[in-house]
Amino acid sequence: MLKPLSPSRWDYTTAAHLLNRAGFGGTPAEINQLVALGPDQAVASLVDYENIPDPVANPDWAHPDPDRIKRYQAIRDATTPEARKQLQMEQNQFVQRSMVELRGWWLHRMAYGPRPFQEKMVLFWHGHFATSMEKVRDPYYMWRQNDLFRRQATGNWELLLLEAGKDPAMLVWLDQAQSRKNHPNENFAREVMELFSLGEGHYTEKDITEGARALTGWSLDRINQEYVYRPFIHDDGEKVFLGREGNLDGDDVIAQIVAQPQAARFITGKLWNYFAGQMPSEDLNEALAGVFRENNNNFKPLLEVMFRSEEFYDAEIIRNQVKSPVQWLIGSVRMLECQLPPPLLCMGMLRQLGQDLFNPPNVKGWDGGITWITTNTLLTRYNDAQSLVRGTPPNLTAADFAPKAGGQGGQKVAHLAQQLRMGGVQLDKIFTPTELANKDELVAALERRLLQAPLSGEQEQTLNEFLNAKPQLTHEDILTVIRLVMSTPEYQVA
Amino acid sequence: MKNEITLQTRRQFLRTTMLGSALSWTVPAFLADTFSALHANAADAATQIVTGKDATILVVLQMAGGNDGINTVVPYSSDDYHKARPRLGLTGDQVLKINGDIGFNAALAGFKDLYDAGQLSVIQGVGYPNPNRSHFRSTEIWQTASDADRIEKYGWLGRYFDNACAGSDPAVGVTIGNQLPEAFFARQPKGIVFNNPQNYRFLSGDHAKLGQPDMTEESYKKLNELEMSGNAPEENSGGSIASLPAGMPMQGGRAVDFITRTALDAQVSSDEVRAIAARVKNQAEYPASQLGNSLGLVSKLIGGGLPTRVYYVSQGGYDTHTNQLGTQQRLLKDLGDSLKAFVTDLRAQGNMQRVLVMTFSEFGRRVAENANGGTDHGAAAPMFVVGNTVKAGLLGRYPSLAAADLYQGDIRYNVDFRSIYAGVLEDWLKTPSAPILGRQFETLKVV
Repeated sequence: MLKPLSPSRWDYTTAAHLLNRAGFGGTPAEINQLVALGPDQAVASLVDYENIPDPVANPDWAHPDPDRIKRYQAIRDATTPEARKQLQMEQNQFVQRSMVELRGWWLHRMAYGPRPFQEKMVLFWHGHFATSMEKVRDPYYMWRQNDLFRRQATGNWELLLLEAGKDPAMLVWLDQAQSRKNHPNENFAREVMELFSLGEGHYTEKDITEGARALTGWSLDRINQEYVYRPFIHDDGEKVFLGREGNLDGDDVIAQIVAQPQAARFITGKLWNYFAGQMPSEDLNEALAGVFRENNNNFKPLLEVMFRSEEFYDAEIIRNQVKSPVQWLIGSVRMLECQLPPPLLCMGMLRQLGQDLFNPPNVKGWDGGITWITTNTLLTRYNDAQSLVRGTPPNLTAADFAPKAGGQGGQKVAHLAQQLRMGGVQLDKIFTPTELANKDELVAALERRLLQAPLSGEQEQTLNEFLNAKPQLTHEDILTVIRLVMSTPEYQVA
Repeated sequence: MKNEITLQTRRQFLRTTMLGSALSWTVPAFLADTFSALHANAADAATQIVTGKDATILVVLQMAGGNDGINTVVPYSSDDYHKARPRLGLTGDQVLKINGDIGFNAALAGFKDLYDAGQLSVIQGVGYPNPNRSHFRSTEIWQTASDADRIEKYGWLGRYFDNACAGSDPAVGVTIGNQLPEAFFARQPKGIVFNNPQNYRFLSGDHAKLGQPDMTEESYKKLNELEMSGNAPEENSGGSIASLPAGMPMQGGRAVDFITRTALDAQVSSDEVRAIAARVKNQAEYPASQLGNSLGLVSKLIGGGLPTRVYYVSQGGYDTHTNQLGTQQRLLKDLGDSLKAFVTDLRAQGNMQRVLVMTFSEFGRRVAENANGGTDHGAAAPMFVVGNTVKAGLLGRYPSLAAADLYQGDIRYNVDFRSIYAGVLEDWLKTPSAPILGRQFETLKVV
C-alpha cells in the first residue's frame, strides 16, 4: 500500500488532480508547471511551503486589545438605556465589520497567496475544530485561532492539540474557560475525544469525567486575552484517564490521547477523506496511521506519502469530490483569472451555498460531499457563475447578510452590498486569439481550463450548437459559453 | 419491442403526453436508481402512488434555538413557577387563560383563536429519555428520532420517504430555506430546497427576443441531462459502494450522477414552483417575517397543487439566554399570527382538511431564570399540532415545577416525542411507524 505513483502516470490529469486537492486548483500554466516537475517535485513544491516567502500582513486589529475590556465596561456602566444601546450597537458594528474583513483576508490568501496547500490545511483544521463566531463573539480570537491553524498546519499532532485546546477561541467555544475543580465542565473533555481525536466508542464516560477533572486549570485571562493556567482551580487529585493514573493535568490528557493507536487512525482517516474525497478502507487507514506513527505523529511526512501514493490517483478518486463552496469560489477565481469579489459579496455567496467561514453549523463542522448539493445550492452555483463571469452582482438578500446567518436584520448591509462591484472575466487574459476565433478550440480550451477533462459527446454537441447558432461570436456569447460550462454537474466536482 | 416505448432521457419522459399531465411530475424510482430505459407499462404502476395532490399533507415547523415552553404555556397560578422566575414570571393578566392553572403567553392570540376553534392540540411535557442540552445534538435527536445515545444517519422524514414514497416526485418533500434539514436525509435523497420562488431558477441573462427560444436556458438544460446511452453507472461505480463520500451516502455511482439528478429535480421543480407562486394568491394576511413568508409560500404551493407530502419551515431565535421577555413575545406573536393566517388561507382554498402542522423545538428551558433576564437550555416542553381533526385541547400532563420533581433542574417529560411522530405517521400519513422510527412506540393519537 501507499507505493509511489509511477512517473509514467504523471500528466495533465494527475497534476491537475494534485493541484485541485492539495490546493484550490489553478490555470493550465500552473498545471503544466507541475507536470514539468514530475510527481515528487510537484508534491514537494506544494507541501514544503516553509521556504516560500509569505509577506501577507495581518488585519490591523489582530492583536490583544487592552481597551476592549474598557469598552465592555462602558456598556455595562452606561447611565441610560439609550446610551447602553448606542454603545452596544457600536460594539456590534465593530465586530461585524471585522468579521467581514477577516473572511475577506482569508479568502484573499486562498485565492492569491503563495502557499495554497497551507491555506487548504487551514480550511481543514477550521472545519475539524469547528469553532463558531456565534458563541466566541470576538474577531481577534477567531483570527488568532485561524493563525494557529496556519502556523501548525502540517506540524505535530500533539502540539497542535495542545495549542488548539489552550487557544482562547476554543476555551470559550467548549466552555473550558468556565471549568474549575469541584465543578468541572465536561464539554471540551468530551469533544476533544469524540470529535477531534478518537471518535465515539474509543473512550468511556468515566474517561470524560476524569479528563474534565484533569483539564481544570486551563483557563482564559479575559483582560489580556490569552490562555492562563490557574493552579488554584485545578483538581490535583488522582485520576485514571484512558488507562493512565496519577495527578494528571491537561497536558497529560492530550499526551495520553495521542498515545492511543486509534488517534493516528482517526485523524489520518479524516485527512484522507478531506483530500481524497472518501473515507479510506480499513487497510488503507491502517497504512496511513502506520506512516503517521512512524513519523512521530508529524503531518508533513504523512501528507507527502499520501499525495505521492498510487491510491490517491485512483480512477475512483479523480474528479469525484464535490467542491465545497469555498473550493468552488476560490477555484473559479483562480481558473477564470478574475478578481475575488468584495468580502461582503463573498460572504453572502458562501452563506447561500452553505459554508459560512467562522460560522460552521455545529460542532461537527461541515458534512461536505454531496450534502453541498441541493436543488437550491445547485441553482445558486449556476447563477453565481454568471456573476463571476460577467461581473454582475449575485442575487443576495437581506437574510444572507444578517448578523446571524439566516436570521433577522441585514437590510442595511444588503443595501451596502448593492453598491459593490465585481470584476468579471477578461477574455484576452485566458484565451489566445486562435481560441477566441475557432469554436472547436474554444470548447477544448474551456474543458482544459475549467474541467481538466472532456465533457461528454452530447455536452460538447450542445455547446457547439449554441456557438453555431450565432452568426458571429460576440464577447457576450463567449462569456455565456464559459458560464454554461460552469453550469454543468461536471464543474461541481474536482 | 413494438409495445414498449423506450425513452432516451428522463426529461423526454417527463414531457411525454401519454402519461397525462397529472403524472407529469411522477418519476418512478427505478429510473432514478438504474438509469435504465423506461417502459411504458411500468410507468402505469406509478399512477398508484399517492401524492400530496389528493392525500394528506404534513407541515413541520421548527422553532430553532430551544423555546421556553414554561413561558409559552404558562402555569400562571403556580407558586413554584413564580418562585423560580421572579422577573420572568407571567401573572394571570399577562396570559390568555386556558383554564384556572395555565394560559398562553399573551403574544399567542393566534393560538388562542385556533385553540378555541378546536384546531389546536397542545401536547404538554414532550421530551425524551436522557435529554441532551446541546443545540446541535438535541436537534439531531429530534430530526433523526434516535435515542439519545445513538447516532442515526438518516432523518425520520427521510426514512418515511424511503419506506413509503418510493417512486414519488422529487418534490415529495419541500423545504423553504437554504439547506436540507437533517430530518430529510434519506437513503434515496429526495426533496427540494428553496428560499424564494423568484430566485429559484436558472437566470439565463439571455436577452432573447419575444417568441425566440432562450438559447442559453435550452443549452443549460441539455448540459444537465441524464444520458441513457453510454456513461452507464456500472462502468463508473466499479462496485465500490464501500467508498462513499462523507455525509449522506450515495448508492453507487459517481458524485456527478447525483448532481445531474439534482439538476433535473431543480429544473422541473423550479418551473412549477414559480408558476404556482405567480398564479396562486394568498387569501389571508401573513406577518412580514421569514416565517410568515414561508407559510404564505407553502399555502400557495398547496393551493397550486404541488404533489408535496411534507413541507418544512423554520423560525429561529428562540435561544433566549438573555432578555427573554421581549424576544420571546416577538417570536410567539409571529408564530401565532403566521399559523392563524395559514389556517385561514387554507380554509379559503378548501384545503385545510388535508393539512396538519406540527411544531418542534430541540429542547425547552430551565425552570429557574438566570441572572441575565433569560433562561438556559432545558429539556421537556410542549409541542403544538394544528389541524381540523386534531385531538384539540390539552394532551399529556403539565410537568411539575416543584424542585423535588425536577431532573437536573429541568421539568420531566411525560410524552416521548417519538409517540407523536408515530401518531402522525400512522394516523395522518397512513403508514406504519415502526419501520421508520426503528421500533414501535406507543402511539399518541394526535388526530
